[in-house]
Amino acid sequence: MLTEVKNQLKITSLSIKYAIMREMLNKGTFIMKVIFMLLNDASFIVQWIILYSIKSDIGGYTFEQILLLWGFAAGTFGITRFLFKNAFSLSDHITNGKLDCYLVQPKNVLLSIITGESDTEALGDIIYAYILLFISGVTLGKLLLFTVLLIAGSIITINFAIILGSLSFWFGRSDYIADTGNGLITNFATYPDGIFSGIPKALMYSLVPIGFIIYIPVKLISEFNLLYTIVILTVTIITTILAFIIFYKGLKKYSSSNLMMSKI
Amino acid sequence: MEKQNVIEVNNLKKNFRVKEKESGLKGSIKSIFKTKYQNIRAVNNISFNVKEGEMLAFIGPNGAGKSTTIKMLTGILYPDSGSIRVLNIDPTKQRKKLAYEIGTVFGQKEQLWMHLTPLDNFKFFGAIYDLSKEETDKRIKELKTLFDLDKFINTPVRNLSLGQRILCEISASLIHNPKILFLDEPTIGLDPVVKQSIRKLIRNMNKKFNTTVFLTSHDIADIEKLCKRVIIVNHGKIVVDDSMSNLKKEEGTLEEIISRIYKGEEKHHEKVLGNIQS
Ligand SMILES: Nc1ncnc2c1ncn2[C@@H]1O[C@H](COP(=O)(O)OP(=O)(O)OP(=O)(O)O)[C@@H](O)[C@H]1O
Ligand SMILES: [Mg+2]
Repeated sequence: MLTEVKNQLKITSLSIKYAIMREMLNKGTFIMKVIFMLLNDASFIVQWIILYSIKSDIGGYTFEQILLLWGFAAGTFGITRFLFKNAFSLSDHITNGKLDCYLVQPKNVLLSIITGESDTEALGDIIYAYILLFISGVTLGKLLLFTVLLIAGSIITINFAIILGSLSFWFGRSDYIADTGNGLITNFATYPDGIFSGIPKALMYSLVPIGFIIYIPVKLISEFNLLYTIVILTVTIITTILAFIIFYKGLKKYSSSNLMMSKI
Repeated sequence: MEKQNVIEVNNLKKNFRVKEKESGLKGSIKSIFKTKYQNIRAVNNISFNVKEGEMLAFIGPNGAGKSTTIKMLTGILYPDSGSIRVLNIDPTKQRKKLAYEIGTVFGQKEQLWMHLTPLDNFKFFGAIYDLSKEETDKRIKELKTLFDLDKFINTPVRNLSLGQRILCEISASLIHNPKILFLDEPTIGLDPVVKQSIRKLIRNMNKKFNTTVFLTSHDIADIEKLCKRVIIVNHGKIVVDDSMSNLKKEEGTLEEIISRIYKGEEKHHEKVLGNIQS
């Protein structure tokens, strides 16, 4: 059991390493991409600086909290796209029969798929997340908590993507559902939740779990609360179990395909 | 000594449900409101056994159900009904356990990382099968001489010719010394020289390690030169299961015999089928 887990981790990290290597073949463009990603992110912050110079409280958020909001948004986006990019194209993998080569390997199919590709410029988002944390004022405790919450949020984001992608096992081409769902997270993530209420707010703590990925974490950094931390960790575990169950249920319906293709 | 069955298949069935769509814009709009499904009987009640060390040609016309069968035997697809035992393992229940024991090559699908060299790919596959570094290196050395990979083992896969790539695909699928090798059209698109070397390799491997070979191919020479036994499927059913030598007793070249069977004109299968299936 333990060696099995060890071997699986070895393959997963190798897979991530190779996926990153592929993207970094050209170091020059890689560095440029990361820099541009950083600049792109930074331009949004300028908007908020201007907003806060007019008003000191937007949607119940202070400027520091807005920075953290953006930090969690960029950080979870960065980690998930950097390490598990293929979780967001799971639907395409299923409908186009791209699971075949993973299914004949004695390793976890789901992990093999989601680690098969990397979006290396997303490294810029991860760096940016930490820059924001530093600007908002950081202590060692906050740094640790931020990292733990970022990892938990990334796992929840991936689980969400896996569940949406797995719908393709039952409904065929349903990548638009997954794309919309994953897009919702990215889009909501950059607004203070104070401006939402009622049904949208309820959705954020259920169907689109953005509350656990962004909003609660922001509050936790401002003011630590053990109960909420436990809630986040529980949600992380439950969604992971759910994602695995749904994926493996769907896998029985997998129909492969006869398309000519290669693993790019 | 009585040889063991390494593959046992009983009453295997697989249907695909595909959306039916009328052509044109009108058809597309219609299909939004009412989707018609068509049921394709890809594999329709197939039963057979394969013995250890056997080299089996599993052939049939396009769309006969060959790939679908291989995918069920290797744990890629779930069957609708029927039972499969491969090395006494049920692929639907113990997919990973089975994967350690078998090798698969799909001529039309690639398993290698294109940006890595074959050498790095082989090391990756060694890790996939939990081989130690020493075991992997030893195995790579063996495969290198067996396949003559020296010239391009350090060239990224994306820069290799199709033939070189297939050689690497096959090598990678052999890294863990599988007991059964499933090959789905491994020689598709290759020149005669590469085809020959692949055949030689498969034969050598079978001799040296007693590897069971399950081969589909549309290349008559592949099956004639490699296989002593032939299963012919058509419309998802087995129509012939016989030795190559028996099949060849029919009139004409092997290609002519097989073509007649594909077209349903040959009576050979009726004689033999009697003692295989009821
Ligand atoms: N993923 C799929 N979805 C729907 N139908 C499929 C799928 N895969 C195969 N089929 C259908 O099932 C039948 C059998 O296909 P299969 O690929 O097993 O044939 P084959 O014997 O391998 O043919 P070929 O020699 O052309 O490779 C065909 O009618 C095919 O169209
Ligand atoms: Mg086929």
